[in-house]
Amino acid sequence: MAGAALRRLMAEYKQLVTNPPEGIVAGPISEENFFEWEALITGPEGTCFEGGIFPAKLIFPFDYPLSPPKMQFTCDMFHPNVYPDGRVCISILHAPGDDPMGYETSAERWSPVQSVEKILLSVVSILAEPNDESGANVDAAKMWRENREEFNRISEKIVRKSLGL
Amino acid sequence: MEDKKETQTNIPTEFNPDLNQDELIMQRHREIEKEIWESTSLVCEKEELSSLEAEYITDEVYQGKVKDLLRKYRYIRRTRPDGNCFYRAFAYAYFESLLNHQREYESFREIIMKNKSSLMTSGFSAVTLEDFHETFMEVVDVLSKGTSAQDELFKLFNDQGYSNYVVVYLRLITSSQLQLKAEFYQNFIEGDRTVAEFCHQEVEPMYKASDHIHIIALSSALGVGIRVRYMDRGQSTEAIAHDFPEGSHVHVHLLYRPGHYDILYPIDTN
Repeated sequence: MAGAALRRLMAEYKQLVTNPPEGIVAGPISEENFFEWEALITGPEGTCFEGGIFPAKLIFPFDYPLSPPKMQFTCDMFHPNVYPDGRVCISILHAPGDDPMGYETSAERWSPVQSVEKILLSVVSILAEPNDESGANVDAAKMWRENREEFNRISEKIVRKSLGL
Repeated sequence: MEDKKETQTNIPTEFNPDLNQDELIMQRHREIEKEIWESTSLVCEKEELSSLEAEYITDEVYQGKVKDLLRKYRYIRRTRPDGNCFYRAFAYAYFESLLNHQREYESFREIIMKNKSSLMTSGFSAVTLEDFHETFMEVVDVLSKGTSAQDELFKLFNDQGYSNYVVVYLRLITSSQLQLKAEFYQNFIEGDRTVAEFCHQEVEPMYKASDHIHIIALSSALGVGIRVRYMDRGQSTEAIAHDFPEGSHVHVHLLYRPGHYDILYPIDTN
């Protein structure tokens, strides 16, 4: 089973290298282990995360793509859909029925035809537009709703830190 | 691996706001579910249908239906109740019958090869589709060996790698068929979901159970007739049959008990 997962991960990696989506770089941390990837996500333009480059790691299960990977930012991140420890909590990382946050029924879910690329694009889109219904970080969700100015100020700090400034 | 540790060490301890408690409970739930699943093989050996009688000794309604089934069927082959059972039972039963019908095998192979391009137009990318297609074809090609491949087929269907990829590919065929004929199938979808949303949530993901709509779509996509015998609490003394698509020539017989499908073998064959 791990053989099939490896084959698929190699194919996805090749695809991401030859045809990279804008603002996203991703690949295995080492050639020795294709089940751990690092991704760099550029903060989307016109949002409070603009200009930041955010590293994250993806851990794939041996039955990938039947089950989804897990994703965790390895930099500071203050966002409604990211746990304080960096773990990303969005619907595409969960199979239907596996529903910690009671996502809307129309939300995109994990299935074997999803991909790393689709996950990363979803992450870019929640950076631009957090889903404040799912409070992985309750403080961030509250601040996003009630004090956008403060939220933007914190984001700016995170952006600068991500660039080593 | 990491997660298991997390569950074991964190559930009994104090509340930790950094951990999502719901997620931990769900994970526990999944582990228990998995244990139950794994007590049944993906596809079991054939057994005498009379073994069902013992399961319902105290239940008159079900007993009557078992008696009815015994008049028509001889064997049952159980499958793992993991939400994939319809696809797995269907594939095994149909593939097994193709071992004896090489002409039909040839035309089935052609249908699958043609079908691949309609999967591409349903929006599945080549990268995600290719592996499932290849593995599916690997299993299909075994059928060309005829009856001597019976054991090999059984082994492949009990190998998670092959067996689950066959299930995925049938899920994709089902999804593609539903989306191709979206106007028709929309009428059968409850709530305000579109056919595409329904497919992404109820068809494409593994372990999601199947209903009539899935069966109709798959049987018509492949042109393979499926007879499902329903064993439920309904008052009829017969285990009622539904044929999909309606009026078709039946290739595969399945037994439905609430939430689960197994394979049935009619008395007149073997």
